[in-house]
Amino acid sequence: MDHKNVVRIIGVFAAACLLFTHAASADETCNSPYISKLIKGQEDYVYVWTLGVDGMGDGSDKLVTVDVNPKSKSYGKVLHSVSTGTRAEAHHMGFTDDRRQLWAGGLSENRIWVFDIATDPAKPKLVRTIGDLGDKSGYLGPHTYYALPGRMLVQALSNTKDKGGVTGMVLYSNQGKHLASYAMPTSAGGDGYGYDLAVNPKKNVLLTSSFTGYANYMRPLGDLIKDGEAMKKFGNTMAVWDLKAIKPVKTLAVPGAPLEIRWSLNPRDNWAITAAALTSKLWLVKQDAKGEWQAKEVGTIGDPAKIPLPVDISITRDGKGLWVNTFMDGKTRYFDLSKPEAPRQTYEKVTGKQVNMISQSWDGKRVYITSSLLANWDKGGADNEQFLRGFAWNGKELTQAFEVDFAREKLGRAHHMKLGSKALRSAAAGG
Amino acid sequence: MSALRALALLAALGCAPAAGAHKGAPLAEPDFVPPAPGSYTLHRIMAAPDGRVLGTDGRAQSLARYTRDQITLLGFIYTTCADPEGCPLAYRVFDALKDAIAATPKLHGKVRFVTLSFDPARDSPAVMRHYAGSRAVEKKGGLRWYFLTTGSARELMPLVEGFGQDVRVTYDRSGARPKRELSHVLKVFLIDRLGDVREIYTSTFLYPRLVLNDIETLLMEEAGEDGRVPAMK
Repeated sequence: MDHKNVVRIIGVFAAACLLFTHAASADETCNSPYISKLIKGQEDYVYVWTLGVDGMGDGSDKLVTVDVNPKSKSYGKVLHSVSTGTRAEAHHMGFTDDRRQLWAGGLSENRIWVFDIATDPAKPKLVRTIGDLGDKSGYLGPHTYYALPGRMLVQALSNTKDKGGVTGMVLYSNQGKHLASYAMPTSAGGDGYGYDLAVNPKKNVLLTSSFTGYANYMRPLGDLIKDGEAMKKFGNTMAVWDLKAIKPVKTLAVPGAPLEIRWSLNPRDNWAITAAALTSKLWLVKQDAKGEWQAKEVGTIGDPAKIPLPVDISITRDGKGLWVNTFMDGKTRYFDLSKPEAPRQTYEKVTGKQVNMISQSWDGKRVYITSSLLANWDKGGADNEQFLRGFAWNGKELTQAFEVDFAREKLGRAHHMKLGSKALRSAAAGG
Repeated sequence: MSALRALALLAALGCAPAAGAHKGAPLAEPDFVPPAPGSYTLHRIMAAPDGRVLGTDGRAQSLARYTRDQITLLGFIYTTCADPEGCPLAYRVFDALKDAIAATPKLHGKVRFVTLSFDPARDSPAVMRHYAGSRAVEKKGGLRWYFLTTGSARELMPLVEGFGQDVRVTYDRSGARPKRELSHVLKVFLIDRLGDVREIYTSTFLYPRLVLNDIETLLMEEAGEDGRVPAMK
């Protein structure tokens, strides 16, 4: 490494003595609490993990950097794209605890791509591919990448044996060394399925949710919903784990594929919320008077009979509000969470013909939305919009500020987002 | 010693508090019942990096000398750090653990502490000696607590990077001119006798009780009491 700049920087630092040493209690509202660097001001970039489309550009999955700083001349434009050279159902990604690397994976292959985002945050660089997840664990379809100190806990969706929904989690060091595998609970009410994970270190609790396996999520949605037997193969549980030991301690009945898990970021709170995709219900996970973790249905999203399919949620930093995207009707809804036991919808807007992921800035004033759910579940024809849209939120109205048309730009299907900042350039890079 | 150097040292000593000056509210107990020692696995996260460090006597040594053959608790600090959730917290936890280990005969001779500065420009061996105060002196039934620094940022950075102890540049734009700053997140590393990092604590999980449990877990592993074959290297 080039130490010259580091030496110079350390010299400056020694004089300034300005170190901030506490771990952040949360990131831009939906990341691991172990991630150290919050972007509390204006973010510069949105990284979009994008599914390749045959015949569109190079057809490969790619990480796309979009300039989202309104003061920039290239605001709302694509700055950079780094292709994986393959198409593997790109889905989710997550920062390492030091926020120097971004791990991203696909659901159809057992590969994880590791991007360096510290050397030049505008231009992520593919620095490592991890390909041993299936061999080491027997699991398939790495989904959630959750930072622990010096490690990454990866939640898979399926398994290599029957490609069903029974799966587990895999622990890697930040250097990409496999450390351990953990099966999702299949006894005491557990169905063995997995989807998302999120931790509350204050309570030593790890929560997991459940979706479905490769055989279902890689199947065209139209076929799948006509297959009664296949539709039974969705997760109906959440699991409470001892975080320190990574051992399951309790299974919670949460029917209808509970997906993203968001702990309240309010330091006084110790509850988490999730949305069940198939039943269109909000569920609260909280300790009862005896200290037992319980799951309780607390709200309804749209008309469940019409299967709006809530696919992503984003909690505000104060734990008082929740964005919910529903894929089928293309709506973005806002729920008042002031009373988490009784969420109340206060706003909704059609933000696309199909909408999937939703992310917000730390101050909640900017909201970003993408379009793609899964390659074989996205809508067809004119409804198959593929975009990143940026919105301003004034507390009453979402106003679109920019759009990147991922089809016109020949990029692919826009899926997961993470925020980036020029200020997160590493010391080693010379600032 | 030149007058200038003497003046600089005096100024540095004047700025740097002794570690014992880090007082605060009593350390919090975890809001949960931690798993019992030996009931969980501490994975071999990575090998602790090695490099050249300076003791309080100014002598250069390999860091490996301080991270092998005993269980080691290592934390990075800088002596002028004032963030109560940062270096002072680490120090207070180390201090509490030192007392607990002194009161637990089965842990005697099994554990050492290492406090390593990542501010070599300010934290000279003399400053570290002042910072250590009486803590570095081994008392009967206690443990050795080493206060180390490096000769330069060039020697420090491979250690910082090797441990994954991030140091980054930030910009304070609140003033007329952007001011460059560096920041880090508190991390404390538990290293086994073979020199492998087995746990990394941030401020959200840095409880003396948890660290003691982890030390006992490693000792049980060494003794084969957890049912596993002791690790070979």
